[in-house]
Amino acid sequence: MLIWIVPIIIFVFYGQRIQLQITSGDLKKGIKKLEEYKIGSRNELIEYIQKNLRPKEDPTKKIDRFLDYFTIMPVNMDPNGIVTKVRHIVRSREDYSRAQVKSLSPDMTNLELTKIQTLLEIATSLQMLYKVVNHLFLTAKKQNNYPLILPLQMMMPFIMEEAEAMQKAIPAFKLCQPIGDGIGPMVIGKMMLGLKKELIAFQTVLSETEYSGRKLFLLKAEGPDAVVGRPGDAVQSIVSKTKIDAIIMVDASLKMEGEKSATIAQGFGAAIGGIGTERFQIEDIATKHEIPLFAIVIKQSIKEAVNLMTKEIADNVDEIRLQIFEMIHDNTKSGQTVLLIGVGNTMGVSQ
Amino acid sequence: MFSKEKTVVAFTIEKCKRCGLETKRKFKEGDFLFAETSKCISCDGLLSIEKIFGESIEL
Repeated sequence: MLIWIVPIIIFVFYGQRIQLQITSGDLKKGIKKLEEYKIGSRNELIEYIQKNLRPKEDPTKKIDRFLDYFTIMPVNMDPNGIVTKVRHIVRSREDYSRAQVKSLSPDMTNLELTKIQTLLEIATSLQMLYKVVNHLFLTAKKQNNYPLILPLQMMMPFIMEEAEAMQKAIPAFKLCQPIGDGIGPMVIGKMMLGLKKELIAFQTVLSETEYSGRKLFLLKAEGPDAVVGRPGDAVQSIVSKTKIDAIIMVDASLKMEGEKSATIAQGFGAAIGGIGTERFQIEDIATKHEIPLFAIVIKQSIKEAVNLMTKEIADNVDEIRLQIFEMIHDNTKSGQTVLLIGVGNTMGVSQ
Repeated sequence: MFSKEKTVVAFTIEKCKRCGLETKRKFKEGDFLFAETSKCISCDGLLSIEKIFGESIEL
């Protein structure tokens, strides 16, 4: 009888603590891995700068300071006008980090500058992930609070997937190889070959061509630098000068579990990720001018999106182009003007 | 029984603008899409980089 009663009593009073101990073991392994990624990405960045830029001073101190930089998002109690505030803060941060990276070696090329900026973003994100996960874990342990650890345990596989994807992306960024997210710029960049290019917005280029009686504007970030450009500003500038009858956006999109990678899907709306400010700007312009927004997306996992482009995705370029032309045919008339935007990071993709 | 370790190798596909001949080689640092690289061995036309991608290879 006692054999049954003792474990029941133990579990009633100490059940949560026992579960906390068991869960802690798994979480500790994840946190250790996150710490390795954090240290690894920092060291690789410093090593890369020292080897390729040969700065006069040791960059370690400066890099460590950059890694700890934080961004305070605007107050959202009154959401009116918050998008412009977010855009201002994000762009100020980008401008600042660009200037600071440039100060490491004033002679560096734009390509090197954007590569280092991206590597810095990866290292900062990995540092932030480690800090947040570790904080939640230590708080739960300190307070012996099992329910506090449950959401962390549930989110851990997703966090680890994202962290692993970022950590594995470092070699591709160091070598300036096209990544899965670059499929949109790759399609539009191929269409721009041989055409005159104009810098329409910061790090964003525009070309003009014709297809089946329609005028086509082709827009993408300026490659082969590791940048995404400012498509929102570019659309604003184009629409202020020309009447646009349709906008088609080509972008990479995260696939759902069970979906095949590299499949192409068509839809409506602004296909663009990021913090949301560019999407807001494009949607706003399209609504004001009553321009229909079409999207073509190429499905891929988070790992594929930030790592070296897979053969399956690269092989789809001609098929995507065919679908763009079909879309133009089906939704516009001869004599109309269509704006095609290749959305994504254009690293290793020229035009 | 045991899954073999896989590694991703980067390849570059070059295509001749004149005769359309495609060649596949390992990625070299400095390669980027649509860059003109060298002359075609069959027709003396210009080769440009058509694709850069990674393929998983079992070790």
